[in-house]
Amino acid sequence: MRIQEALSIYDKLNILTDAAKYDVACTSSGTSRKSDGTGIGSCEQSGICHSFSADGRCISLLKILFTNECIYDCKYCVNRRSNDVARASFTPDEVCTLTMEFYRRNYIEGLFLSSGILRNPDYTMELLYATLYRLRRECNFQGYIHVKAIPGASPELVQRLGFLADRMSVNLELATSESLRALAPHKTRKNILTPMRLVQNRMTENKQELTLYRNAPRFVPAGQSTQMIIGATPETDYQIIQVAESLYQKFELKRVFYSAFVHVNNDAALPAKTGEGPPLLREHRLYQADWLLRYYHFRAEELLTEENPNFNVLFDPKCNWALKHLEEFPVEVNRADYKMLLRVPGIGYKSAVRIVKARRLGTLDFTDLKKIGVVLKRALYFITCGGRMMYPTKMDEDYITRNLLAAGEKLPREVREMGYRQLSLFEGGWNENGICVQ
Amino acid sequence: MKTVYVCSDTVTGIFSGIYDAWKSRKREEECEIALRGMLDQQLFCDYVEVEETEHKAAAVEALIRKHLGMRAYHDIYHAVLSADPKKGDAVLGTMLTAREIPDSTKIMDHLSHPKVEKVFELYRNVFGETHSYKGFLRFRELKNGVLYAGIEPKNQILTCLAPHFADRLPTENWMIHDKTHKMFAVHEAGKQWVILWGHTLDEEVFEQVSDREEEYTRLWKGFCQTIAIESRRNPRCQLQHLPLRYRSEMVEFG
Repeated sequence: MRIQEALSIYDKLNILTDAAKYDVACTSSGTSRKSDGTGIGSCEQSGICHSFSADGRCISLLKILFTNECIYDCKYCVNRRSNDVARASFTPDEVCTLTMEFYRRNYIEGLFLSSGILRNPDYTMELLYATLYRLRRECNFQGYIHVKAIPGASPELVQRLGFLADRMSVNLELATSESLRALAPHKTRKNILTPMRLVQNRMTENKQELTLYRNAPRFVPAGQSTQMIIGATPETDYQIIQVAESLYQKFELKRVFYSAFVHVNNDAALPAKTGEGPPLLREHRLYQADWLLRYYHFRAEELLTEENPNFNVLFDPKCNWALKHLEEFPVEVNRADYKMLLRVPGIGYKSAVRIVKARRLGTLDFTDLKKIGVVLKRALYFITCGGRMMYPTKMDEDYITRNLLAAGEKLPREVREMGYRQLSLFEGGWNENGICVQ
Repeated sequence: MKTVYVCSDTVTGIFSGIYDAWKSRKREEECEIALRGMLDQQLFCDYVEVEETEHKAAAVEALIRKHLGMRAYHDIYHAVLSADPKKGDAVLGTMLTAREIPDSTKIMDHLSHPKVEKVFELYRNVFGETHSYKGFLRFRELKNGVLYAGIEPKNQILTCLAPHFADRLPTENWMIHDKTHKMFAVHEAGKQWVILWGHTLDEEVFEQVSDREEEYTRLWKGFCQTIAIESRRNPRCQLQHLPLRYRSEMVEFG
């Protein structure tokens, strides 16, 4: 038997926020909804960030676990049952009060509700459903709700929950099923993909219902997302973005999130602690590649290959691609088609749209591009305006690489610090082989 | 000789100035709109005080809507709310340029023209600040149950913020206080919002918060501290997304 003092709401919030903080995906975008005038809340298509925490991540939703009393023993997770951490559970009422009061004060855009597995998946899902039902129907809350579907819960519950939430997500956790078996013994690939497929199918059906009946209830209107842990298992970047690409194509996901692995547990199955901290640069490069897949019409095998399976640390994936495909450049800004403009380093999708519109009304030169928002110090090696480059430039990979680096291409923190460390070792009397010569 | 039309820093004022300049049928280099109090004196020009009327403003609004389209009007209106002293001039320049291109409704795409580019830059700035305040604004519950928020924006964004919060919190009594421009947006439950301007309210009332307020402030502060992952600490990134000027009114930084 367990004897525990009754926790205050402050302590509970503390424990269950701490337990939820490794979940990424604190976004409130993807759906737009006006209030009906009786309750509180609305949604903006672009999403709204309400604050930023000390790690620079956005705080948009009240991100909490319903409970961290979990029966599973996933080796990477801080809430695994074999860990000795403070445990707590909210009641549906407490979650509703917190959400409503925070929302009134404009602290948050909505609720992100995840949970550990209490007793069994179905029981947990029932609790999540009870909370959301209360929030939507009794408190009349019309803001954003992101809820986690629990792998292994019954399809009927997933469906019912989907009608109350804006976004649903099932965590893929790890990119391959071997890794999943090694680190999350209680989860299976099949259990994770089944609810994902279910949500996808139900969303397609819902689209048809909505074309027939405009006021039909909406099922997961902001789409579904998932997340993967990066760096806990030996997958390459190539494998990871291939998985992401197939999730976008086959499961029609809205977003795939990547979470750099943070060492919270000591376990033989996990990689050794190195003192370098989470692989943030790798996470960053994966997000960049993810954007290229979703908005820039790139395919995974264009960015990486079997022989070259990891991202360049010095350049972002698009710049890296351009340097390897110099035969396609330079591009004439006043004539090139939209898709080609998207492939130029330094031109984002917004600037590309603006260029296409602005060039109908006159020819553009480099000063115009600068005003439109193009990053010229990167783009200048790859574009011409009216047949001229900004400066005389050799179309040579080494030359451009050197110039990009010399022009103050902002190096990621990891790379800068790597340089310093090598230097200090050398000055301390270490030779190239790492042997002390003093 | 160049004529400078001097008007006040309001939508009515600037539109009235544009009305007079437009009526005079001068070319772009021969006229300029300047704001009272933000005027650089120049040699060799006439200064004309604009008589500001609702009628003139409505006429200019109709002119823009009819010939440049709703989208351009939307952009221009937001540009006029900005804090830049050259905004009236940029709008006038844009309107005069629109006459010269084949399809005037496409004027806002003509980004290679300096005046159009200026309007584009201004409204983007106003949109940006509005969007930031939609998130960073903080209400506190006063003793009488009214939600109060104070902000210090650079641009006059109250008319952009109020519809957002009126839609979001229709059943609440709330007010937003623009401390820079000394204006209030006030919303009474179930009614339309209004802008209060030129009034002084008893500011001491704004400091008297309800009893529950402290508890929720404490909960929120605790949440914001706990949610950060220590091994990913990155204050620079935080600063980039959330500049210091917004933080003075945010409870989690208090």
